[in-house]
Amino acid sequence: MSIVIDSVSKHFGDFTALDDVSLDVRDGSLTALLGPSGGGKSTLLRVIAGLETPDSGSVSIAGEDATEKPPQRRNVGFVFQHYAAFKHMTVAKNVAFGLTIRKRPGWRMLARTARSEVEEIEARVDELLKLVHLDGFAHRYPSQLSGGQRQRMALARALAVQPRVLLLDEPFGALDATVRKELRAWLRRLHDEVHVTTVFVTHDQEEAMEVAEQIVVLNNGKIEQVGSPQELYEQPANEFVMGFVGPISELSGRSIRPHDVDILLEPHDGAQEAMIDRVLHLGFEVRVELTLGDGEKTWVQTTKGQADELELTEGEIVWLRPNGARVPA
Amino acid sequence: MRSKYLLRFLALGYLALLLGIPVALVFWNAFQDGIGAAWAAVTTPEAQHAFYLTFVMVIVAVPLNTIFGVLAALAIVRQRFRGRALLNALVDLPFAVSPVVVGLALLLVYGRRDGWLGQWFADQGVQIIFSTPGMILATMFVSLPFVVRETIPVLREIGTEQEQAAATLGAGPFQTFFRVTLPAIRWGVAYGVVLTTARALGEFGAVSVVSGKLSGQTETATLYVENRFQRFDETGAYAAAVVLALLALVTLLAMNVIKPKEAQA
Repeated sequence: MSIVIDSVSKHFGDFTALDDVSLDVRDGSLTALLGPSGGGKSTLLRVIAGLETPDSGSVSIAGEDATEKPPQRRNVGFVFQHYAAFKHMTVAKNVAFGLTIRKRPGWRMLARTARSEVEEIEARVDELLKLVHLDGFAHRYPSQLSGGQRQRMALARALAVQPRVLLLDEPFGALDATVRKELRAWLRRLHDEVHVTTVFVTHDQEEAMEVAEQIVVLNNGKIEQVGSPQELYEQPANEFVMGFVGPISELSGRSIRPHDVDILLEPHDGAQEAMIDRVLHLGFEVRVELTLGDGEKTWVQTTKGQADELELTEGEIVWLRPNGARVPA
Repeated sequence: MRSKYLLRFLALGYLALLLGIPVALVFWNAFQDGIGAAWAAVTTPEAQHAFYLTFVMVIVAVPLNTIFGVLAALAIVRQRFRGRALLNALVDLPFAVSPVVVGLALLLVYGRRDGWLGQWFADQGVQIIFSTPGMILATMFVSLPFVVRETIPVLREIGTEQEQAAATLGAGPFQTFFRVTLPAIRWGVAYGVVLTTARALGEFGAVSVVSGKLSGQTETATLYVENRFQRFDETGAYAAAVVLALLALVTLLAMNVIKPKEAQA
């Protein structure tokens, strides 16, 4: 289901977490909220879930105004960075939580759930545990699982109630690098299978680019740019986005991607003279650090093949020229 | 190595002198004239009534203080309001104020003749001082802080994320409390209940002031022990003391018997 955020602002004391933010999230899309910490991305996600109330503005989910609704009536799935596992329940009970709540609302809390309902819930839990590759762990407690397993359990728990949107707050932030990489690819595949509108928060541009179809860059409580990973990288709206989504280097006082600079061995129109300080071989990538004629330092990214062909050596004089890539206005 | 043993010796020796030997002597004295005499001493009508009254104190004060304690802890940890610090400080008052002072304060409020509210209650036909309600009030007052104090740290420790997760999964405030919060803090609450029970069983000073000490009417087990002792009925005093000690011991053991299950989870 689509999410529409209309001029939402949120302050915590003097701190402005969100400053008049508007955003459309398409039905069935996979969107990343990307930005530095304190940029407002987690607050925006929590506003969508109803865990924070905006000072002004509105949130609608599936065309329905949800601004005044408490979280329990929004039908969203939320996954926390630190899992928020119910420690006193088994994995199966954790995953079944939302389903049990629905079968037994408040006034029936002490009543027994009918056998057919119990079986229905059990079948659904089994199915979800298979989906997150946790079949066989149903009767363990969260404390007996690894971080990655706990987060997959939290995902199954969120998916169990068939939420209209799935929200993930730095879902892989507490995991080690290998598990994080695995789970990214897995989340991507899961989204292809389940097709639920998904929004996740990350401060890792590589993660956003690898997983998301659409990236929203947030900084100082404002949206800097919305676009596909490719758009953001190739047509950054401003210096901040350019610096946040990829490496930058400086040439003639302008920011440029370090791989958008050609190294020439002869002087050329529009090319600047520079001396090579160091040549770093990082496998396929070769990083060349240089000092320009005016004493400014810069660096250029090239490939092993090119570096070998040009026979770049430290102390050599070369000429640098932007190779026609677009730079922010 | 030697300092390690010295430390143990000091800790155990201190406990033995202060606690172990005196309690052992109480047991010894209670059974001086044989088990039969001790049994007879704690089954007299006065003794039975005293234990019954202590039971009433526990059965009223413990549940009320448990409910209040959990609610107060929730308010102190989870909410921001004016007077929160004051509430937090007031909860400790029963620790700081001597029980005798508590008893006198209750007299000032509920005393029949010149108590602040006493006259009004008397007009309604309710006697508080020198009667069970006053003694229950005194017991509740002195045993008030335990559940609050034991619950606050566990409530802080579990944080709010599990509760938020429950909310996003469709649970309302009551469902969240009973299904997520309460199970998560249950050991803190249980320990608070044990301490509250032990305190309610053993309270002497405050209850003594407001009871009037009418044997067989307003005499709890602790007051009965004092009464017997003052009348040179040593077997009666020590035997009742043993029963009180055993009750406290059972309460503490019950806690340790149920708790280890948590570790396996």
